[in-house]
Amino acid sequence: MRFKLNKSKIAHKLFSPNNFINAQLRDFLIGRLWLREHTPFQQKTIEQHIQMGLIQIIPGVQPISTSKKLFSKNNWRCNRCRNEDPEFFASFNCAKCEQICVYCRHCINMGRVSSCTELIKWIGPPRKIQLPYEPKVNLSHLFQWNGTFTPQQKRASEELVDSVKKNQSHLVHAVCGAGKTEILFPAIAECLMQNKRVCVATPRTDVVLELAPRIQKVFPNTFVQALYGGATVEHRYSPLIIATTHQLYRFEEAFDVVIVDEADAFPYTFDETLQQAVQKAKKPDSPILFVTATPSDELKDKVKKLKGGYSFIPRRYHTHPLPVPRFDTLFNYQKQIAKGKIPRKLLEWTTTRLKNDEPFLIFFPTIELMEKAVPLFQKLHLKIEAVHAEDSNRKEKVLALRKKSVPGLLTTTILERGITIPKVQVAVVGAESGIFTSSALIQIGGRVGRSADHPTGDLVFFHHGITLEMDDARKEIIRLNNMEVLS
Amino acid sequence: MHINPPPKRTTHCYLCAAPLHHKITWRKLLTPTREPAICEKCHQKFEPVAPEQQKYKDVTALYHYNEPMKDFLHQYKFLKDVVLSEVFREEIHQHLKDEQTIIVPIPMHPEKQKERTFAHIDELLNAAGIPFTHLLEKISPITQSSKTKTEREQSDQLFRLKVHEAIKPTHYILVDDIVTTGTTLQHAKSLLIEAGAEKVTALTLIQG
Repeated sequence: MRFKLNKSKIAHKLFSPNNFINAQLRDFLIGRLWLREHTPFQQKTIEQHIQMGLIQIIPGVQPISTSKKLFSKNNWRCNRCRNEDPEFFASFNCAKCEQICVYCRHCINMGRVSSCTELIKWIGPPRKIQLPYEPKVNLSHLFQWNGTFTPQQKRASEELVDSVKKNQSHLVHAVCGAGKTEILFPAIAECLMQNKRVCVATPRTDVVLELAPRIQKVFPNTFVQALYGGATVEHRYSPLIIATTHQLYRFEEAFDVVIVDEADAFPYTFDETLQQAVQKAKKPDSPILFVTATPSDELKDKVKKLKGGYSFIPRRYHTHPLPVPRFDTLFNYQKQIAKGKIPRKLLEWTTTRLKNDEPFLIFFPTIELMEKAVPLFQKLHLKIEAVHAEDSNRKEKVLALRKKSVPGLLTTTILERGITIPKVQVAVVGAESGIFTSSALIQIGGRVGRSADHPTGDLVFFHHGITLEMDDARKEIIRLNNMEVLS
Repeated sequence: MHINPPPKRTTHCYLCAAPLHHKITWRKLLTPTREPAICEKCHQKFEPVAPEQQKYKDVTALYHYNEPMKDFLHQYKFLKDVVLSEVFREEIHQHLKDEQTIIVPIPMHPEKQKERTFAHIDELLNAAGIPFTHLLEKISPITQSSKTKTEREQSDQLFRLKVHEAIKPTHYILVDDIVTTGTTLQHAKSLLIEAGAEKVTALTLIQG
């Protein structure tokens, strides 16, 4: 009853002669939670839509009451990133409103949200889909893909489409190199056909940059918007968004389906607000489809609780087994590198790679240790380079390795996923370090033997003592290799 | 003048969010000291300007404009992360604490200040616990950084003296965030000298 009243009120306002909806504004804002002062539209237009009740204003930061009255403190919540940790709030003497304002430091890179800034959200009628022929199915999205699936891939992709049809969550557990992205294509096509708005979210910008062009190619008639820090945001509606999980802070109740790729990657598993961001960005009843090579037990439990579907691909697309890591001791490697010496076994391993002209990756537990090692390795070959998370030339260096203009790279865990280099050989230095969890080690191992032409390669974990995580990684790889598969 | 409440103890680096380990020492217990707001690693990325590298006479710049400093200034001034005013409070304090002089921040145009929501130079000095006096007013809201080099050098006087402020024959220190061509500081200096100041020097955080 109440709902009807509201609707007629809006309708009444819409039909009054002076007012009409700015379609571009609606298409841009729908599902978004945007800083009012940063919109590409005129403030006058926005003001009119607020007057008409089509746009809602939400305070950027608002006080929240704590349950314990006796010790109640001033706590705050950021309405964009939903952060409530007092450590991330700061107050200042605001010159604009001439009082003390509070702002959120957690999402400050997306433009500051403070208690005196306003977020805007579209609450007017949704876009109309004009399809005279068939009201339920949208055939305007062309799905152009001619690849072939292995039987395992085919089954997983069918199961995934089935979950989309049933509107239920799903977990795709597929080993590194199983061809996960391709499995998503039919599910995305199904969503678009049903006029569902889809988001493919991933914790890593590198993965967005890699995925977006591939997906755009498969759906040539659909506007695919890639969103990451520094991306150009087009001012129109996109039914298919490829975004970093961070960018989902800027959405609310937007998506009918969210696909979380690399669902176990840092920082998604680590930062609770990112997981909340996914929840907030989707509509309340929308399913989440998780895709990963190394699902945590929590993730498995979560999907089970949601009564979601599950697909499992234990074999790579080229059907060869996963490379099994070998363990080798490298005692006191830290001391030796600090003294300016590459430990003997690591030196021999590297010179063999250089002699055989095989591209290689050497993973280090910390940036500090890696930076000490770089000059030592450059004595072996001048062109050996190092990459880490803050390296702005990361993409170029990985490309150089692929093109063989660089013989090998030293890296932190940043290159543990998402990269494919034919014939690459991998060593982990200090595999016992805390940062190398079993899932990190499995991902690192997943870099080896990805191409059908070179399905094998050396994978060595140099260590100062074997950890449970190392054992778990090795056992899991062997378990996967021993599994029976469809043929 | 607005006095900020004592800054709360930071437990994580403002720049990289790494946990900060505050060491308890006798000196800290017995004297008021400013705890670092960033970690040692982030601090080392800033490159101090040695005395022989100072580009301008009578201008002391603390740091070079390297990449980490560019990122810092961006986050402070343009992303408006006000707490970053605490990052260099110790250095600024050390440079200005014993001065028997009048500290004059380079002002912002009131319009611009409303837009930015805070006066970035004032906040730097507040965080450093240095008292200051506003003697100048910016005439036009157009920023120096939006002009070309020749436009900057040829521009008319950028400031005027605030009414009712008498300039004494004494030493004044101007404070700004960055010195690029030196024009801003030159304008402010000549205005103060004409009004009767005996000596005018400057301190900037960065040398561009």
